[in-house]
Amino acid sequence: MAETTYSTTEAPITHADFEFVEASGGIEAYRLMSNDLQVLLLPEAAAPVVTFMVTYRVGSRNETAGLTGATHFLEHLMFKGTERFHERHGTAIFNVLQRVGAQINATTWMDRTNYYELLPKEHLPLAVEIEADRMRGALIDADDLESERTVILNEFDRGQNEPIRNLYHAVWSAAFVAHPYHHPTIGWRSDIETVTAEGLRHFYDRYYWPDNATVSIIGDIDREEALDLVAEHFGGITKSPDPVTPRLTREPEQRGERRITVRKAGQLGAVMVAYKSPEGAHPDAEALDLLAMVLASGKNSRLFRRLTDHQLTAQISASSSRLRDPGLFYILGILAPGRTHDEVEAAIEEAIAEVQADGITEDELQRAKNQLRAQEAFERDGPFAIASQLNEAIAAGDWKLYTTFRERIEAVTTGDVQRVAQSYLVADRCTIGRYVPVNEA
Amino acid sequence: MNRLKEAAADTLDTFAARVEQRTIGPCRVLLLKTPVRSVVSWRGSFMSYPDFGEGEELLQVLTVEMLDKGTLHRDRFALADVLENRGAQLDFHSDVLEVAFQGRALREDVPDVLQVLAEQVREPSFDEDEFVKAVTQYQAALHRSAESTSSQASSAFSRMLYNPAHPNYTPPTAFSLNRLDEVTVEEIRSYHAKHFGGNELVIAFVGDVDWSMVEEALQGGLGDWAKHAAHPRFEEHGNEQERGRVEVRMPDKQNVDVRIGHSIPIRRQHDDFMSLFLGTFILGGNFSARLMTKIRGEMGLTYGIRAGLHGLDKAYDGHWQVGVTLSEENVERGIEAVLAEVRQFVEEGVTDDEVEDKKTTITGTYKVSLATTRGLAQRLHRTIRRGFEVDYLDRFTAEVEAVTPAQVNDAIRQYIHPDDFQVALAGILPVVEG
Repeated sequence: MAETTYSTTEAPITHADFEFVEASGGIEAYRLMSNDLQVLLLPEAAAPVVTFMVTYRVGSRNETAGLTGATHFLEHLMFKGTERFHERHGTAIFNVLQRVGAQINATTWMDRTNYYELLPKEHLPLAVEIEADRMRGALIDADDLESERTVILNEFDRGQNEPIRNLYHAVWSAAFVAHPYHHPTIGWRSDIETVTAEGLRHFYDRYYWPDNATVSIIGDIDREEALDLVAEHFGGITKSPDPVTPRLTREPEQRGERRITVRKAGQLGAVMVAYKSPEGAHPDAEALDLLAMVLASGKNSRLFRRLTDHQLTAQISASSSRLRDPGLFYILGILAPGRTHDEVEAAIEEAIAEVQADGITEDELQRAKNQLRAQEAFERDGPFAIASQLNEAIAAGDWKLYTTFRERIEAVTTGDVQRVAQSYLVADRCTIGRYVPVNEA
Repeated sequence: MNRLKEAAADTLDTFAARVEQRTIGPCRVLLLKTPVRSVVSWRGSFMSYPDFGEGEELLQVLTVEMLDKGTLHRDRFALADVLENRGAQLDFHSDVLEVAFQGRALREDVPDVLQVLAEQVREPSFDEDEFVKAVTQYQAALHRSAESTSSQASSAFSRMLYNPAHPNYTPPTAFSLNRLDEVTVEEIRSYHAKHFGGNELVIAFVGDVDWSMVEEALQGGLGDWAKHAAHPRFEEHGNEQERGRVEVRMPDKQNVDVRIGHSIPIRRQHDDFMSLFLGTFILGGNFSARLMTKIRGEMGLTYGIRAGLHGLDKAYDGHWQVGVTLSEENVERGIEAVLAEVRQFVEEGVTDDEVEDKKTTITGTYKVSLATTRGLAQRLHRTIRRGFEVDYLDRFTAEVEAVTPAQVNDAIRQYIHPDDFQVALAGILPVVEG
């Protein structure tokens, strides 16, 4: 059995600029009192490196028609720089950080954007300085925007090249007709083509504030020094002038199965069967995670045995999106050569019906839990893996979803898994997508 | 006195001092304990020597595909059960001249997983039904590769640079699909018998690990594993045609993948390797390298562009390439811009500042790559496989630091020849008039 010990949490730091809020699983949360920036600290001295990450609670969820892809576009422009860190001064952000060996990047997703640096611990001050500087100091220059527009269009085209990505976007767009999860994170092509610096500036000024962000510092750190650094660089930034409370359209209840087909050049077909699922912080979320594992994780999973082992699919997977708002529980099968969409879809539906009717066995549940336990230990191997998990918990609305995951998983019963299969995997809230390859010949 | 203490501490902190080594049967085992809790990662391989000229690489890939499909003692589900009940990971893959494996498990599960590893690699059952499934799986993988502009560009590029007997040559997808139709399970059995054995078997374990959990399991599972008699049979050098351009036309793929470059006559252990590596890094090793700055940052022509040394081994030559993705409307402009940038790079060379900057980048990145047990196991294994000893990990930073700008410029001029560049493209390609 895996040890569940986390780093020993010592007494919280008393710091003039911070209020200690809470601790969980070895992670301490502080509030920078001048501007409500949330700061999470996790000392892990396994290697002399640190991950510094800023998670903004903004993503494609906050975008409106005409401005889709804005969060992702801004992610690109945040690297173009500020008055202090800019190519024209020889201080481009990538140059300055990569010079010291930092792994640096940013990702945008539905509910969040994260900017991160994984770097030798002695260079942490540089990462903190740069992230603080671009929190409010991004230039969002019109010339920079134009050169980055074609870069993003190439990124868009790269995505369009991928059959499964096409299918995935089509299913989300069909499943959500009103809520912004309808939009792909990269945006619709015409919005990328037409977005202006003013539009992005407006978006930036609405969401990029300390009180809409969480700073995570994980690795070989001295907690007090880390807080000193955050206070020094972020302390002078003011809070958002208006509370950051996005108005979101609630997705109306789906009352009937939806179907979507993507026909493009390709070789193998694919089927995606997706059901509306609750928000990531919902009490049923862990039972759905375990259901996904029982269905499709490993060779002993139900869908592998039923489909891949019988040569219906080349690959099968299941996942429960754990988002801020209700999302999708989905099963994705890539067809084996010569197989039909009907065969695969029917087999997936049979497997689901079996779980709904008969539940799962205790052995299946234990196997899934064992896998999650091991996975959790593996994810503590190095500060970057921890940061990635923590990032998604922050995005879903509560960073403690990461630290309490294990105990919530342990509490799930076979009855819970059957119940969530019955209550969420229902035809009226299902969207089925098919990728149909069209042969050029 | 203090200095002496520091020196002693530094020595103790070296990989040479921290990595323990033992020989267990045919297996050279390296073990590095790190402060991570519960987790053990490993990476290993043995030399299998497929005959590339005879197309044996496909047999090796299929043999490896069969390793988790059942052994003489357990069927595929029982094997999977051992791993899945423990959340452990164990993967095999065909890696050119060798068969490689990597795994990760909680410390108490390591012996059980190593037992499975040994059973899979030594006693696969090669069941006929399972073989048919493995063929279907590999067919699907080939079809997926046929859908990928990146795979198709790289594969076409390899055929411009190498003959089929070279390990870096990738056959056309259609050729592999046809060959796949003919392969029999008997051929796979025979390949396993002739090419699987404890030849130069190396395994590196890293994490919350000690000898008690690996020694007995390896002794029991692999201690008496005999060596096979296959010998290396492959072409060592590139064989480029005249400068040319190959286009793989793929409808509906608006992003076009492009490869530009040529083979280079040096290996990993060559004295010029580090200088050429550093120079190439300055051109296109990361986001702040010249190509990203110019072609992406200034011109906005691409999402991603890289220059690198590919396929270099201690036993055969590799190639130098720029890889870039370009949207349909920017293909020709992008290629011209890349060629202009590389020409300028070769003609004018690099600056002292660039060399110093990238040295810090490379040594810092190296440090960061050692932050996980998986990264460390990979580094340790690769170091031995490349013909170095563990102390190379301690010397690596000093070797990077020792390179001078003059050496970098000499290497660039000696090995990179833009007039000889081959170009391969894959995607929806506009028809070029005239």
